[in-house]
Amino acid sequence: MSESQTMSQAVVSEAKKRRSIPATAPLVVFLLAMMTFFTITSEYFFDIENFKNILVAMAVTGVVCIPGTLLMISGQVDLSVGSSAAVSGMILAKTVNAHGIVTGLVLCLIYGLVIGLINGFFVTVVGVSSLITTLGTLATLYGVALLIGNGQTVGMRNFDWLGTAQPFHVPLPVIIFALLSIAGAVVLRKTVYGRSLYAIGSNPNAARVVGIRSNRILMLTFIYSGVAAALAGAILTSQLSAGDPNAARGLELQAITAIVLGGASLAGGRGTLFGTVLGLLVLGVLNNGLILLDIPTFWQRIAQGVMLILAVSFDQVRQKLNDKRG
Amino acid sequence: MKADLVHLENIHKSFNGVEVLHGVDLSLNAGEVLALLGENGAGKSTLVKILAGDISPTSGNITIQGSELARLDVYQARQLGVRMIFQELNDAPTLTVAENIFLGQWPRVNGMVSWKELKRKAKEVLDRLEVNIPVDAMAGSLRVGERQLLEIARALTQNAKVLVLDEPTAALSNVEVDRLFIVMQQLKSQGVGMIYITHRLDEVAQVADRVQVLRDGNSVLTTAGKEASRDELVTAMLGHEAVKNVRPEPIKTSKRAVEVKNLSSFTEFEDVSFSVDEGEVVCIFGKIGSGSAEILESMFGLRPLSGGEIKIFGKNFIPNNPGISADAGIGYLPADRQRLGSFGSRSVAENLSVRAWHTMGRFGFVKSGLEAIAFNRWAEALRINSRRGPTQEIATLSGGNQQKVLLARWFEAHVNVLLLVEPTRGVDVGARRDIYEIIRMQARESNMAVIVATSDYEEVVLLADRALIMARGKIVSELTGNAVDANTLVSASS
Repeated sequence: MSESQTMSQAVVSEAKKRRSIPATAPLVVFLLAMMTFFTITSEYFFDIENFKNILVAMAVTGVVCIPGTLLMISGQVDLSVGSSAAVSGMILAKTVNAHGIVTGLVLCLIYGLVIGLINGFFVTVVGVSSLITTLGTLATLYGVALLIGNGQTVGMRNFDWLGTAQPFHVPLPVIIFALLSIAGAVVLRKTVYGRSLYAIGSNPNAARVVGIRSNRILMLTFIYSGVAAALAGAILTSQLSAGDPNAARGLELQAITAIVLGGASLAGGRGTLFGTVLGLLVLGVLNNGLILLDIPTFWQRIAQGVMLILAVSFDQVRQKLNDKRG
Repeated sequence: MKADLVHLENIHKSFNGVEVLHGVDLSLNAGEVLALLGENGAGKSTLVKILAGDISPTSGNITIQGSELARLDVYQARQLGVRMIFQELNDAPTLTVAENIFLGQWPRVNGMVSWKELKRKAKEVLDRLEVNIPVDAMAGSLRVGERQLLEIARALTQNAKVLVLDEPTAALSNVEVDRLFIVMQQLKSQGVGMIYITHRLDEVAQVADRVQVLRDGNSVLTTAGKEASRDELVTAMLGHEAVKNVRPEPIKTSKRAVEVKNLSSFTEFEDVSFSVDEGEVVCIFGKIGSGSAEILESMFGLRPLSGGEIKIFGKNFIPNNPGISADAGIGYLPADRQRLGSFGSRSVAENLSVRAWHTMGRFGFVKSGLEAIAFNRWAEALRINSRRGPTQEIATLSGGNQQKVLLARWFEAHVNVLLLVEPTRGVDVGARRDIYEIIRMQARESNMAVIVATSDYEEVVLLADRALIMARGKIVSELTGNAVDANTLVSASS
């Protein structure tokens, strides 16, 4: 068919607006199936208190998943969030005991900014891939967390409300997570910054050539990620009333599993926060269900690893299909 | 009579139900050069890909060296001695010349690669081509033309009988082109049959024994190389008389928009000076590597300058990076659309609006719906064919439609100066005319100064108010108005 023929047919404003099935549909089906299964197999599952447990358990991971999704969309990844949360928790526990809550939270915030800047610096200015940079900071910061507490857990007094308060019967961490998710979704959909993240992830070279300030935008996103990890660490420490260097181990894996399950592409350029929240729910319900069914905890680890590989494989298959179509 | 080397008969090929080859015949004798001509989208590359076993025809017969093949795959084609040389280099730049020639088939003694043997054999092959390249040099340190010869040498070591050369001269200097032709003569005398794809009509008489012209999936002309007149070939390619000097309306000179003085880069061009007025379209014409595209890259901040100055509306402008240039009201369309232009996985509306987001709302927000409105407006004005409207992924559009979206990107951003590099590369004939019309119309209507770097003389004739001709990094002449003429362009740029 020649170009001129197709052109005459095309009055674009009249083009049919076909809504395709959203990419998250299979995930919703999977989530519902899983919930049905656990409702049938465990009498404790379908219960408002249990749902609260699920949400609280996913809130800490959820907080780091928000900038994590922004990063994944722009083609980057931050693996350092697990250790970063641990360091933040240790700082908080130490300073709250000695200087009070405000000082502790301010220090956590500053810490988050600094670690975000460091990650962002190596990725954007030096040009090290984010995978390697943040793998390095992950390892380094774990050591720092151990160093702060001398390898021990540090008890924290009088600051458990951040992790355990329930205004209007909703756990505070869940409220924080919900508000941040909404803010994140609006930023992604409605701001120049958010749209630019998609562009950078879709084609970093074209983003540069079209004049998008990619380095600035990525730097900012790494800083968000650092601050979110610090906040996650603070919530976790408040929940435990102690800074534990091992409390947040594996947080980065959970986060990436949820993000990729939610449909964000490892290649960048695709993904939504709604998808990530669904991914978190799938992981949360799975973990919770396994506990309720009295399945030994190491199976949770195995299930999580398998989910990560499945999610990434699914992403790869989808990319191949897209390449074939295009 | 059946040709003794290759005989393709009544080849049909459809992609997704659309037939792109409608029963094409092609034959090639040993020791013969067949020039294959045709516009983009005429079916040349599909046809040679079928010969190389890359894609299989919907129907038709393939005979290579006398054996008729029901199915031909890549391995079979290689076995039968079919080799392709592409315009893009396929070598390993960090390995030596010798290693590249025997890539993957290094001679071994007792299971270990024998460097001595490798170098000796490489030297032998290069001697056979009468090419003098040191076998120890890194392939990456050679000139493009030499690297291309290297690929031919590699094909020879693998017993090439049929060599397909896909626009090999596009990136070569004149000296290198001459050397390639000498090598081709060598190969001819050794009985290698060659299919030579080119856009340059002047090369046809020089190297080809026969010419075959494809148009819209049909073979429209086959004739002896020496007998084909230029006009006859152009008519066959286009399907109508060549558009001769359908020159754009001249404009009244208005305000000076761009002034470039003594601009130099480190290696690509030097001492370039010119100016462009509002509403004017100036083409910088030159072969690839002549420096024309590089000037625009430098003006947009993608390539460092070593000297000179640029004034935009009288103000000094230093292009440090693309962000600064875009903010200063300059737009840039790269030649490599896929790699540098489009955001493949994003929608056409997003691709179009990327430079206008900050005008589509306040405080860093983008009002919902405005992207789609902008897209629909431009889709109508520029006849962009997107079946699923604003939400369609840009990668699923045809080359011509993609290019229109990328042009509209800068129109929507209301730039004053637009820099275009090879704006119709990979765009089919019909859409090409559209794009010329769009560029001219927009330049006039929004008083935009447009600078086009191109290696396509027809483009210059149809597009330019004024043409600057470049060769080897320098502007060698300037043509205005009706003096912009294909023959003058080609002879001045060589």
